Amino acid sequence: METGIRILLLTALLAALPGCASVREWYQQRAERRAAARAQSAPPPVSESSQDESAPPRVIEPEVARRKVKVPRISSSNVEMGLDYGALSIEDFGTHPVYGITTAYHITEDFFFQAEVGRSRGGRTSFETLSGNIQLLTESERRFTYYDLSLGYNFLPGEAFLGRGIAMTNAFYLIGGIGGTDFAGDTKFTVNFGAGYRVVPADWLALHVTVQDRVFQSSLLGATKLTNNLEARIGTTVFF
Amino acid sequence: MIARLRQAALASLVLLGLLLTPAVSGAREYLQLFVAQPYLELHTGPGRGYPVFNVVPRDGSVDVLFQRTDWFKVRTEHGVEGWASQQDMLGMVLADGSPFRFSVGDRAGFGAHRYEAGLFAGAYGGANYVSGYASLSFNSQLALEAALGQFLGKFSNGVTADVGLTHVIAPEARWSPFLTLGVGEVHVEPKATLVQAANRTEQTAYVGGGVRYYLTRRFFVRGEYKAHYVFTKRNQNQEADEWKLGFAFFY
Repeated sequence: METGIRILLLTALLAALPGCASVREWYQQRAERRAAARAQSAPPPVSESSQDESAPPRVIEPEVARRKVKVPRISSSNVEMGLDYGALSIEDFGTHPVYGITTAYHITEDFFFQAEVGRSRGGRTSFETLSGNIQLLTESERRFTYYDLSLGYNFLPGEAFLGRGIAMTNAFYLIGGIGGTDFAGDTKFTVNFGAGYRVVPADWLALHVTVQDRVFQSSLLGATKLTNNLEARIGTTVFF
Repeated sequence: MIARLRQAALASLVLLGLLLTPAVSGAREYLQLFVAQPYLELHTGPGRGYPVFNVVPRDGSVDVLFQRTDWFKVRTEHGVEGWASQQDMLGMVLADGSPFRFSVGDRAGFGAHRYEAGLFAGAYGGANYVSGYASLSFNSQLALEAALGQFLGKFSNGVTADVGLTHVIAPEARWSPFLTLGVGEVHVEPKATLVQAANRTEQTAYVGGGVRYYLTRRFFVRGEYKAHYVFTKRNQNQEADEWKLGFAFFY
């Protein structure tokens, strides 16, 4: 263990050395910037010829101050946030309503990152229904909460038309990622993948339809198996 | 059940209200730019495939309404609104004739940028691991970084939080290695079937390294290893290895 700490401290020292070099570089850059600012603010040297009276009169130099353009900040609108509602089929536990919150960050016109949180409930398994009074899970354990981080790809961007006068941009997208699912008193590592359709009726508003499969390993009903939990949702998001 | 539904509906309404506020709220000052190239093309949507439906001739002006990814929504003097590409916007000038410059997502930006963030999948002490990070760069080499992660394993689940410094050794190279060092906390929830099954939160320190590989635009791949030292309240400290690989972007 002591060797572990020694290695940690030595590596810390090693990592700090080049770090210090870059801090020094940073200071140097700041000093250079300051010197440049000083040089700019200093008054221009008076030319000798203007003091010499024998020289021909000079053309008057216009003292026009260059107009300073104030550049207002361009707001960026890459973040999309909203609510969705739909149905989630929990393997062995029936299909139930699901509601959630989605946040997406658009990096390029093709790719976006998305974070999702959703909640639903598991119903009774057919085993519970047939066997009468046996309860596999308590009420609180039937709560199904998922959260994930995904990467999306807009693979069929286009335009949708409503009659003659209205055109809205839209896209089909593929999405996949990883996260966790809280169900039956345990949190399971969950992989999700799916596809969706987004239509943007106004610059700040988008409507979504998404179908996703959430896959995790479960051994609730005896044998350990991969469970597929299919989900279909509609949602509204707002761009920031 | 009905009370809870009502609560959920109310919460959704409040959230929606909050979401809509910035979209509705008032007039603002826009940046005016002038066309310096022969013309500026306006597309119907923010993407390379959307058709050009309008052009602004040289010396014409546009107001820049906002930016979405690599596209700018602009309004012409005649009130026509359309999307201009980042490449075309580089040929625009400000009112004083100076060129319009902004942060472009390219290879140079990979070497020197202010912010980056990313997602990872990997392993932490043998358990599946999902994590995300964000960092603030002081210069092209030194950055302050914060990471949050969750591990889901056979014997325990838990959450990690780290804060540390990252030193990029060759920021301008496409394959750029880096070293990292910091402290954090880990919260462990052992599975109920184990003995000693109390939840615990412990301090950690880590040292590690990895490599970044520039892909395209604002994207890069990042692979990383961190050796965590967990300072437990028991006699023995613990060590945990973290391996992860993921996508990240800079801004």
